[in-house]
Amino acid sequence: MLMNIILLILSLVIYASFGITNLIFILFSTITSYIAARCFKNKYKKTILISTILVNAIILLFVKFILFEEGIFNQFINLNIIIPLGISYYTLQVISYLVDVYKGKYEAEKNIFKYMLFITYIPHLFIGPISKYDDMKETLFSKRRITLNNLYLGTSRIIWGLLKIFIIANRIAIITNTIASDTKIYTGWYVLLAVFMYSIQLYSDFSGGIDIVMGISKILGIDLRENFDSPFNSESIKEFWRKWHISLGIWLKEYIYIPLGGNRLGALRKNINLLITFIVSGIWHGINYIVWGIMHGIFVMFGNNLKTPHKWLNRLGTFIIVSLLWVFFIWSDTFTALKMFTTIFINFNITDVMQNILNLGLSLSDWIILFIFTMILFVYDKNKIKIKSIVKNISPELKITILCTTILLILVFGIYGIGFDVNEFIYSNF
Amino acid sequence: MKMIKIVIILIFFIIIFVLLNMLLKPKYADSLVEGSMIAQYYDEEKDHEVIFIGDCEVYANFSPMVMYEEEGIKAYVRGSSQQMIWQSYILLKETLKYEKPKVVVFNVNSVRYDKESEEVSEAYNRLTIDQMKWSKEKLEMIKESMTEEENFLSYIFPILRYHSRYDELTNEDIKYLFKRKNNTYNGFLVNKTIKGVTILPTEKDLPNYNFSDESIHYLELILKLCEENNIELVLIKAPSLYPHWYKQYDEQIKEFAIKHNIDYYNLKEYADVIGLDYSLDTYDGGLHLNLTGATKLSKYFASLLSFRYDLTNYKGDALYDKKLKIYKEETE
Repeated sequence: MLMNIILLILSLVIYASFGITNLIFILFSTITSYIAARCFKNKYKKTILISTILVNAIILLFVKFILFEEGIFNQFINLNIIIPLGISYYTLQVISYLVDVYKGKYEAEKNIFKYMLFITYIPHLFIGPISKYDDMKETLFSKRRITLNNLYLGTSRIIWGLLKIFIIANRIAIITNTIASDTKIYTGWYVLLAVFMYSIQLYSDFSGGIDIVMGISKILGIDLRENFDSPFNSESIKEFWRKWHISLGIWLKEYIYIPLGGNRLGALRKNINLLITFIVSGIWHGINYIVWGIMHGIFVMFGNNLKTPHKWLNRLGTFIIVSLLWVFFIWSDTFTALKMFTTIFINFNITDVMQNILNLGLSLSDWIILFIFTMILFVYDKNKIKIKSIVKNISPELKITILCTTILLILVFGIYGIGFDVNEFIYSNF
Repeated sequence: MKMIKIVIILIFFIIIFVLLNMLLKPKYADSLVEGSMIAQYYDEEKDHEVIFIGDCEVYANFSPMVMYEEEGIKAYVRGSSQQMIWQSYILLKETLKYEKPKVVVFNVNSVRYDKESEEVSEAYNRLTIDQMKWSKEKLEMIKESMTEEENFLSYIFPILRYHSRYDELTNEDIKYLFKRKNNTYNGFLVNKTIKGVTILPTEKDLPNYNFSDESIHYLELILKLCEENNIELVLIKAPSLYPHWYKQYDEQIKEFAIKHNIDYYNLKEYADVIGLDYSLDTYDGGLHLNLTGATKLSKYFASLLSFRYDLTNYKGDALYDKKLKIYKEETE
């Protein structure tokens, strides 16, 4: 109880420290959804549900696409307001809570402070995962305390996340930023290099950030739902979406795809529903990601036709498709992204790329370090369960040794500090 | 038993961490020697009667060994590259913890800059601060000098700043892991290169010539510190030709000196008397004097100091004779 009070106060204070506007937005969403859910016994419950969802969704769309950086108005007037922190994440949580209570999946929360803690729980406001109330309340409001074991598990997870971000993601960011910065020089196979590297960068950055969230939560005795499950071992785009950004995938499935009819209304409607779901996914990421969403939707619809009997070939194919589609993330302007994508098939400048590989911002030793740690990441991902069970049984002395060694590796080989300005998670921008 | 093992492991990693910090930090020994002079002071006998403070215009232009040879003056140059006035003040404070000189000579070139100036940079801060001994003054120096991009922790743990040097480590980093190389002669950095003045950049008009209140405040603090310690403060402007020392700057310093009854010498005005030949006596086209230029200037300034101030003639001092012998051998 005391821990939750502290956690709520701390969350609100940290959140407000990013700007008081942030606090106003999140409190508005929290209070409106809390009151709405409490009113669902009323005969106008459908109207209340729809209007509350609409208000919150319109706020999200308004701040993301009209008022702020990508916004139409911003071209004419400078409002000098930043997008409210975590609004993309907590709005989805609010909607899922409202729908679940409306459907009678669980009772509306009576205690506003408990509900407020669910929405404002600070670790997951930056990059998710998008938690559902029934999952969260089990862990958030149960009796818990900080134990030595949780401290170790949480710290290990945080350190693993830091390693992914500082050694892998930030190192790759140097290359992708270099290539993305000049659309005239870096075309053709530079783009190909960028998209493959970006795949690893985004995964390391996003999953690394989630590891930190999970780690902090673990220390506090809170178990959140996993957001990744070795996505690059997927054999199809459909499988990829079950393993990548799992919490968003589940949310889209439960609150968009299934309400649209899911696969219950025949093959054509199923495909239309899928496409709509992926368009929503694209819009959630930003106005410029709609094409990316549609493309993923198409590959999910028809991906099975591309499957071969060879697992490794399917995995490679999935990785290539997913990577190629990140082109819309590297160049957030859709037309530029498409233009750059086209150059891959026109300009076969592989020799030029190979000759300039050391002029993209990374030295030879940087490439070697990147290769080694990326291999470690993929080997770990593939054998996660086995490795976890081995680590569970090793002596505390060895555990401490591994942790300390990893910290030193991050300190020495991490990319951070003066001259490097990628200080936020890629996914905190969505 | 298990607990003891864990403690031993932790101690082991702390040692590794400390060693990594030492290894990755620049040694300022064979390369980037401009960062070495601040630390060399700590190895010195602290019985100097004259202390120079200021930027490169002091460590490149004034040779204490020549001053000793000429007038038996025991002097030390506590200069560093682009030393800002607040840094000079704090370095003087630190110096006064070790010794009480009779005269402090401050080169006023840095009065033109304040904390907002673009000349303030992390790279130069490092050259002054990195090798300072940990003390109240070092903490103050970091606090006063840090630019927005810097953070305090990286001064405590250099690995946070220099971690990417794993790629650039040389023998120098191993050789000077536990020791320092003495690159200077009482803080004077020798440069024998001759690169005379050919063309000087034109003297552009500035929108404002007035020193900032902040700079004047630090100049007053330096003066106050000297007065409190019964030390004569001497203001100088080294005879460097560039960056331009505008006459408006000069007038403000003269005014300050008159107001506070202290001496100010713009040594550029004495260039002919000193015998400086700018086609031969500088190593970088007029910014700094080379060995021959610095020798001429130091001879002149030594006689001025000994004539004007009550300094002891230490000629015959065994330690300084030995130092002078080494200096002569290595500079001739």
